[in-house]
Amino acid sequence: MGFVLLAVPVVAVVLFLLIRSRKLQYAISVSASTIIMIAAALLTRDVMLFGVVEYSALGGVFYIDSLSILVLDIVVIIGLMTSIYSVGYLEEELKHGKLDPGRIRIYYILMYSFIFTMMLALTVKNMGIMWIAIEATTLASTFLVGFYNGKDSIEAAWKYIIICSVGIAIALLGITFLQLSSIDVLKGSQFLDWTALYNKAAALNPSTLRFAFIFIVIGFGTKAGLAPMHTWLPDAHSQAPSPISALLSGVLLNCAMYGIIRTIAIVNRSLGSSVFTGRIMITFGILSILTAAIFILTQKDYKRLLAYSSIEHMGIIAVAIGIFTPLSVFGALLHMINHSFTKSMLFLSSGNILQKYDTKEISKIKGMLKILPVTGTVFLLGLFAIAGTPPFGVFSSEFVILTAIFQKNNFWIGILIAVVLAVIFAGIAHTMFKMFYGTNTSAEITAGEINIPGVIAIVVLFVLITVTGLFIPNPLKELIEKAGNIIIGGQV
Amino acid sequence: MSDYLDVLSVLILLSSFILMANKRTKSHIRTFRIQAAMIALAAGIMGIDSLYKEGRFDLLVVCAVITAIKVIYIPRLLKKVDANVEYKVEKDFFLNIPILIIGCCFIVVFTYFSISTSEGINTGTLNMRVVNSVSLILIGLFFMISRKKAIGQIVGFLVIENGIFVTAMFATQGMPFIVDMGMFIDLLSAVMILGIMVFKINEKFKSVDINKLKNLRG
Amino acid sequence: MINVVYAVIQIVVLVLAAPLVNGIIKKVKALTQKRKGAPLLQMYYDLFKMCKKTVVVSDVSSWILKVTPYIVFSTAVAAGLLVPVTTLIQPGWFAGDIIIVAAIFALGRFFMMLAALDTGSTFGGMGSSREAMISSLIEPSILVTLFTIGLTAKSTALFPIMNFMKSTGTPLIHPVYIIAFITFFIIIITETSRIPVDDPSTHLELTMVHEAMLLEYSGRNLALMELGAAIKQLVFITLLVNIFIPLDQFIGAAGIAAVAISLGIYLIKVVCISIIIAVIEVSTVKLRLFSIPNLAALSFILSFLGFLQYFVFGR
Repeated sequence: MGFVLLAVPVVAVVLFLLIRSRKLQYAISVSASTIIMIAAALLTRDVMLFGVVEYSALGGVFYIDSLSILVLDIVVIIGLMTSIYSVGYLEEELKHGKLDPGRIRIYYILMYSFIFTMMLALTVKNMGIMWIAIEATTLASTFLVGFYNGKDSIEAAWKYIIICSVGIAIALLGITFLQLSSIDVLKGSQFLDWTALYNKAAALNPSTLRFAFIFIVIGFGTKAGLAPMHTWLPDAHSQAPSPISALLSGVLLNCAMYGIIRTIAIVNRSLGSSVFTGRIMITFGILSILTAAIFILTQKDYKRLLAYSSIEHMGIIAVAIGIFTPLSVFGALLHMINHSFTKSMLFLSSGNILQKYDTKEISKIKGMLKILPVTGTVFLLGLFAIAGTPPFGVFSSEFVILTAIFQKNNFWIGILIAVVLAVIFAGIAHTMFKMFYGTNTSAEITAGEINIPGVIAIVVLFVLITVTGLFIPNPLKELIEKAGNIIIGGQV
Repeated sequence: MSDYLDVLSVLILLSSFILMANKRTKSHIRTFRIQAAMIALAAGIMGIDSLYKEGRFDLLVVCAVITAIKVIYIPRLLKKVDANVEYKVEKDFFLNIPILIIGCCFIVVFTYFSISTSEGINTGTLNMRVVNSVSLILIGLFFMISRKKAIGQIVGFLVIENGIFVTAMFATQGMPFIVDMGMFIDLLSAVMILGIMVFKINEKFKSVDINKLKNLRG
Repeated sequence: MINVVYAVIQIVVLVLAAPLVNGIIKKVKALTQKRKGAPLLQMYYDLFKMCKKTVVVSDVSSWILKVTPYIVFSTAVAAGLLVPVTTLIQPGWFAGDIIIVAAIFALGRFFMMLAALDTGSTFGGMGSSREAMISSLIEPSILVTLFTIGLTAKSTALFPIMNFMKSTGTPLIHPVYIIAFITFFIIIITETSRIPVDDPSTHLELTMVHEAMLLEYSGRNLALMELGAAIKQLVFITLLVNIFIPLDQFIGAAGIAAVAISLGIYLIKVVCISIIIAVIEVSTVKLRLFSIPNLAALSFILSFLGFLQYFVFGR
């Protein structure tokens, strides 16, 4: 089953290289993501039954436990929605003459390579191969970020690849130190094996491990969008085509955070307490939330605003991981899920808006509710959701996290976060709500939805976030709790 | 043998200083090539030694791969990129060269003080080799932020990767083999993609000055 | 008594070998440019020719112009007595060390700069100011490099340093010494005014540094100045070869034969280094004057790096 999961994107890329007919490419894309989703569903059932799924191929390198399957499911669901959405989006772009048909083939090849590398990062237990896969995600997505080949896109793509590559290189230094800390404890083939490191964590050298942790947080944090390494994120996420922005924001940031979480599990188990990692994660987290708040207040471009909101939510997840109680880790994982669905839904809707209005500026868009009724409504409710309003998912996970913070007596952190969240809500409301009302004065924008498959995908995601906001189904709750146990490992 | 490795680690650090002191892109590429050749030599020496003692020859394969990729292929690629872009950026750096070199010296001293105050890495000669290698990483980073040309940033990134590889090699006798190979493939694709991006930048912005890329702000 | 004999032998070897180094460098440069070039002993013929000519001195100059050639020559010879040509010959009564050598050369250079200003010609003044800048920039490198080596040898006197290096086997395969070697090469190029710092064969006054200060001399004075510069060059090369590549430990014989063999080995080493200097001259270009601080900064930081390596390695 795991083999099917990883082999399908590869096969899809090969097929895209061979097939030129557009309709057939759309069909391959949607069927590939459906097959991946089915494989992931079966894997989830296996993991929930057996706890851990391991394959002995390539020296036992593949390893899927509850934490991996949780993040993997997010990848797969959003991948399916995005590929459904892309069909309509690309057709619309062709109609308006913004793309040549040949570019669509490149788009799909890169997108499926991107999805493959992300899934690879989540299914291996060797930290070195995880690193290679995360570096490969940067490489696969650079040309996707610069897809439109305009001045701004090229600049965004350059910043993306340079900053992320340097960050990932620093993470490699951290992984080297990780290996160095285990040099007397592990042998040969067990180097950088996560399960081996986790089991023998008490015997690792603490000061080298501290160095390793700092470098890994800075390195993978660059990829995850933690401030102050976040500078590539607004540019890359706003210049990429909207389905790719959804993938980048909803999925890639999670993969990078996954890498950090795996390391934190080892380090906390070795050091015996979460004070060291907690301080670092909380600092980065609060810095990210504050940076996002400042920049959201003055944004003129709605896609950039959504990108800054991603930075904010990644900051919240970082703070939750820093607090490191079972409740806060539960909240962090739940927040990962909710944020991914909400953010990708928002980016896909923004794609529709961009195609209809042909501008990225907030001030130029008026009367969205009349012109794009379904998308507009979903976008409006989505903005409420991302700012943390009930009854949507993001509210429940933020509530859990804030409860955990106050439970651990970190009053000032909790109050700070609550205040900044309120500020962000005000900022989003103030800037964005003008887009929905009023009448549109430009004559060439006709009312009516475009991209029907995309609208379906958006609505499905919207239903998902409403559901998780109202109640969490038991299997999901168990899965998240098991994943939390892997991270905390029985110590608080 | 450990004498030769000490000498090589110091020479590699020396080559990074020479890299900093150079003003032209072609010299940067040539100095990078010399540095990669010395790293390959160090890997070769360690590989032969491990072949005698333990019969493993992954370090020798790594040495061969480094020679093929970093000494031969990547400099050739960079020269091709350099030949096809505009040459108009006159003053490539913000501060003048003596200050940059003194900055590199501060980096070495800073690295020495941070590493020597942490146990676990400072055992005898291992200490100085690790200090040299980690300084190489930081000097590569410094080089990257002090240059205005896009190719300078690529060379800086390559020096960072060199430094990380040398640190792994000296401190832990190399990473697991498959991780090393994956690293090289990643590096190769990264350089190819960066080369294509430099072409695109040159095409759109009519110059390779990174400071002109400031449309996206805030 | 034997010390006097040793001192005389050392002076004779240095004074006689100095013009040969220049000859070799010019010959190698010519050969790489596919010319035949001047004969190897050309500088000897030039010196004899200059001694036969009359001395013309400007009448607006003071006693400094007349005295300087003698000062330059004698400081060069005095420094030559302090450096070890071979470990088997030690004119023991000169208790000098690195600082004295640097100071002696500084004395000669000081008078040379003053004399160039003395005649009131603009080119002389230009040469002096350039020489002042370059030598003050390279001075820290010389001191730090030689002090680092002195730290390893536990003494700053040059004969004990050479003895210590002789006893360590192959000194060059050592992180401190290899950096010191490379830095010392840069120092030689700067102090002896070779490309890339200054072109010794240029005839364009605006590009000269060292030659500009020699423009006003003629006859025997010019011969003394040229010979002094050549001896200074040989002294620096001697420091390089004898500190970093002392091959004296491999001499099996004893007595006079040993001294002769070690002098022979010394001359061969000098010839090799001259060829290397000539190759460097041929393959690089002269730096712009304002790029020389870059080179000086590089050499100073490299010497400091060598010191740092010693500080950590401790051997």
